[in-house]
Amino acid sequence: MTEAEVRPAERTSRRSFLQVAIWTITGLIGLVLGIPFLAALVGSASRKRQQEFSDVASLDALPVGLPVDLPFSESFEDGFIRGETVRRVWLIRTSASEVAAFSPICPHLGCRFDWDARASEFKCPCHASAYTADGRVVAGPAPRPLDSLPVEVRQGRVFVKWQQFKVGTPRKLLV
Amino acid sequence: MFERLWQWINERWPAKPVVQTLLTEEIPGGATFKFGFGACVLSVFFLQAATGLMQLFFYVPSVDHAYVSLSFLRTEVPFGWLIHNLHYWGATAMLTLVLIHMTQVYFWGAYKSPRELVWLLGSFNFLLAMLMMFAGSPLPWDEKGYWSTEVGTSIAGTVPFIGDLVKRILRGGEEMGQPTISRFFVLHVAILPVLLITFIILHLVAFRRFGCVGPWQEAKRSTTGPFWPDQLFKDLIMIGGIVIILLTLAVFVPPDFSGPADPLDTTFVPKSQWNFLFLFQALKYFPGRLEAVGTLGIPLVIILLLVSAPFVDRRKERNPAKRPVAMGLFIVVALVIICLSIMGSRSMPGVTRGGPPAKPEGTAGTPIVPPPSEGEQLVKTLGCLGCHTIKGEGGKVGPDLSAEGSRGRDREWLAKQIREPKSHNPASVMPAFSNLEDSQIDALIEYLQGLKSGDGGQTLASGLLQSPTSGFPQEGQPGSEEQEAGRPVTAAQQFIGDPRHGGKLFRQYCEACHGLAGRGGVPNPGSADGTVPALNPIEEELADKEPARFVAKIDPFIQYGETPSGPQPALKMPDFGRSLALTQGQISHLEAYILSLNGVRRDQISVPGVRPASFFVLVLGVFGLGILCLAGIRLWKSRR
Repeated sequence: MTEAEVRPAERTSRRSFLQVAIWTITGLIGLVLGIPFLAALVGSASRKRQQEFSDVASLDALPVGLPVDLPFSESFEDGFIRGETVRRVWLIRTSASEVAAFSPICPHLGCRFDWDARASEFKCPCHASAYTADGRVVAGPAPRPLDSLPVEVRQGRVFVKWQQFKVGTPRKLLV
Repeated sequence: MFERLWQWINERWPAKPVVQTLLTEEIPGGATFKFGFGACVLSVFFLQAATGLMQLFFYVPSVDHAYVSLSFLRTEVPFGWLIHNLHYWGATAMLTLVLIHMTQVYFWGAYKSPRELVWLLGSFNFLLAMLMMFAGSPLPWDEKGYWSTEVGTSIAGTVPFIGDLVKRILRGGEEMGQPTISRFFVLHVAILPVLLITFIILHLVAFRRFGCVGPWQEAKRSTTGPFWPDQLFKDLIMIGGIVIILLTLAVFVPPDFSGPADPLDTTFVPKSQWNFLFLFQALKYFPGRLEAVGTLGIPLVIILLLVSAPFVDRRKERNPAKRPVAMGLFIVVALVIICLSIMGSRSMPGVTRGGPPAKPEGTAGTPIVPPPSEGEQLVKTLGCLGCHTIKGEGGKVGPDLSAEGSRGRDREWLAKQIREPKSHNPASVMPAFSNLEDSQIDALIEYLQGLKSGDGGQTLASGLLQSPTSGFPQEGQPGSEEQEAGRPVTAAQQFIGDPRHGGKLFRQYCEACHGLAGRGGVPNPGSADGTVPALNPIEEELADKEPARFVAKIDPFIQYGETPSGPQPALKMPDFGRSLALTQGQISHLEAYILSLNGVRRDQISVPGVRPASFFVLVLGVFGLGILCLAGIRLWKSRR
């Protein structure tokens, strides 16, 4: 049966079916390829970093009660680039066997604070937030205490896990 | 809502007439699958553009980062494996479909007047597609792509008069390197795509001017069928089939990780890409002065045949059965190209590879270094330097051979020592090289007897040196734990090596001590364990299911070596990385092999999105469901 011999009603029905089929097949191909392509961009952007503990210092070298600012090298992943980067952390030996660690980033707006030995306080140069040696806010606009970092003492060495938190929020939220 | 938007657009832009022009076409003889190949080429081109664009989000075109960034995409980005594998197979699919499309046009006589320009523009697109594949090949900066480009640019370099200039322009210098990758990148992602898009549009416009040629039988041409929706429906079924084929290949036949480009690696067999294999093979038949016939003549003849076809063959006859000359010529050319390609794929390379720049000969003050003798080469390739020292280079496990020629040992003694070391000393840990040919033993003896005390000259390991891309971290030294903790991540740790290549290297460098396939059992007198540690299976604390962590644990041993505990171990692990005896690429191959011995794939996809096989089943399910729905609709409509 040639095209001319097909009845008009049947031809219309066939034509409308073909149109539905074309959109369906195009949609399916778009779907099975489009979703993975989008997922590649979204998935790689929302990956959480897996941080591990890094060796920062010897416990014996830390004075009791006095904060010390220490650099340490940490392996990092930035996309496909893997290497070592230097971070800094505040360590305070609270007793013979215990140590607290603070992120050096001010929880107000992300400036780097310092230890004022005369006032025995941490002071942020940006907006004058002040904190006690155990991290409590005593002055300034800081919305929360200093961000403590996970710390462990293993065989006389202090290990710290580097973490970063959102600044400017009353709650401590991991970035 | 949609109709109002459509109307709003049409009041401001002639969308309706444009769509009508695109869709209104009468196909002589009615819609058929035979006329769907052009649409398939166009679709695969779009797929290549989309996957290429996606890769650009992750790929970095530099010699240091290309391989690692692409490996990251393929193993650590959700669906990155799918994007890359589709692009890889899409290139082959596109060129294959172009060839089918052209063959069909030729058989149907569709190049004849008045469609000459359609043919010419199409031929130009074919050449552009060939160049696209050529330009894309070195971008991963892996062994396969590097060497195929080395061969390809060398072929271009043999064109008379301008060859050297062309090669230099393509490579951005005499040797392959960063300028090469930059140039090929710009060609592949900017210049050639713009040309391709332009010429595809010109080709389509020229095609629509006279429309589809239809069947060659006059009677069949009298009926026609519409492009929309009849032909487009058939086109889409073919495109859907091609997408399924490409997905199957992407899932079940992923491209290999051939390891990072390593100009110093002499074990890789360079080959041109499959689409240039015929030329690669043809060049072997035109040595010396005749080379120009191959490099310039053959491509020119092919291009001339393509371009001149519509002007030489001016008869109106389109039936292939009545065009014996045209068909005969096509079959001969096709057979020659196919045969040459098959021969090329089976043969060994015929083009000299590049490698490190040659030292200027005879320059004042620069001593001319004689090429290494066969014996000297064998000493390197057999891994003798893993245990013996010669002129300050090599291991300390076996005796120093720097003055072997002065010891007065005769040929028979040396031959027996190489073939059966235990015949002289039953406690010897030297592997027996009993499978060497007589000529190789002679070459070794000749070399060893030539080693006299006080000889200066070139150090042996000089040919094995230097990491191909990022260098070896010299600051890390073996020894204390503190030093180990401070060791930077080596290049080898970041490269995904090829376990098959690693297997070859293992037999050459490691098997003598770690045993056949790393199964151990080789005695190490004086060590606490008494034997060399087995690597198959490896110690539990070194093994890891995660390939990156596994490699990070074993890498320091290969890079920096190790002395086993015990009073006086006879065998020590040499520092293959620090001594530059192996390149970082080679170490990555060895590591991939050791992982494979322990059931871990180095190229394991750690972030797949959806696992390839599951994704394949999912896609088949989605397509199956779609077909079922369509069949239901068809049935329902026909009953009404």
